[in-house]
Amino acid sequence: MAIKNYDELNSLELDTLREIGSMGTGNAATALSQMLGREVRITLPEVRIMGYNEAIEWIGGPEEITAGVLVKLSGQMTGIMLSVQPLEFVNIVLESMMEKTVSDYTELTDMEHSALIEVGNIMISTFINALSGLSGIDVSLTVPAFTVDMQGAILAVPMAEYGGQSDYIMTIGGNFISDNKQVPCRLLLSPDLRSLNALLRKLGVSDG
Amino acid sequence: MADNKITIGIADMKMAKGEGMLVTYALGSCIGICLHDPALKLGALIHIMLPVNMEAGRKNTMKYADTGIRETLKQMEAMGASRSRITAKIAGGAMMFKDGTGSLGNIGQRNIESVKLNLRKEGIHLLKEDVGGSVARTLLFDVNSGLGCVRCYGRPELII
Repeated sequence: MAIKNYDELNSLELDTLREIGSMGTGNAATALSQMLGREVRITLPEVRIMGYNEAIEWIGGPEEITAGVLVKLSGQMTGIMLSVQPLEFVNIVLESMMEKTVSDYTELTDMEHSALIEVGNIMISTFINALSGLSGIDVSLTVPAFTVDMQGAILAVPMAEYGGQSDYIMTIGGNFISDNKQVPCRLLLSPDLRSLNALLRKLGVSDG
Repeated sequence: MADNKITIGIADMKMAKGEGMLVTYALGSCIGICLHDPALKLGALIHIMLPVNMEAGRKNTMKYADTGIRETLKQMEAMGASRSRITAKIAGGAMMFKDGTGSLGNIGQRNIESVKLNLRKEGIHLLKEDVGGSVARTLLFDVNSGLGCVRCYGRPELII
């Protein structure tokens, strides 16, 4: 049965999505590890279906400033993918690539912005390549867009994009661990409902 | 300004009378709409996310500019407010990500247009606005004075 809302997913479907999240973030972690020249592993990936305000609390409150890289998916699957990069993550990247750290996002130079966009873009592309390879679904990606602002407003972008379909946002993704330290970087995929149904059908877990 | 803060989430609306500070955080493309009847010191703050309600059944009125404004005015009038006195101030409607290709659309701009259109339709005078651009905004609204305060990252506070 095709679902009409994210909260109608059954446990088999959720497990399947978790598996995709696991493969996607696993591949992204390998890519990140190569870029940073240090070991990066992933925490247990999560599939979350949350109300808007619940999602904002989950990511750590609305007003926290963070960097975000956003890529839009099109083709056989539409959706939005975000790489949310808190300052701690930004510093891990800058330290590995440029041997410097910053105490505030305003100190970032254009060059450093580009580095963050590229890191986000490569993680997102790797995730989507894994998903695409597993499901046989063709996905095209837009050029990455970048912003530094309140994370509540960044997370509201996928919410608004699919707000006409649902009162929930679905995110598939996980956190990274490097040098035994949790790296606070979230890679989030928010598919639209139609694509989610198509994906589950392709993977053979939905008969709709 | 008063200390007792009342928080309004996304797709939500709250009112206060006499005293009270209504707050809604991190408006990106969303819009915060302050409606105020100065005679009663009655204020409402709506946090809308999308321009037009096309849902079957029209639940969730506060998610949309059109039904949110209409329903809030109805509730304010039920508390004795007079439509001829009610004024509006709005903030939000930004474009958080610029990607050059325009594939993301501009929900913020569509929200601004819909909010203004619906205020005009309902005969509500728009006093002040801080909309558009590409910054997220936190909006505070003091129902006693009718003053709004917009807080942004990397920009001084703005009183509207």
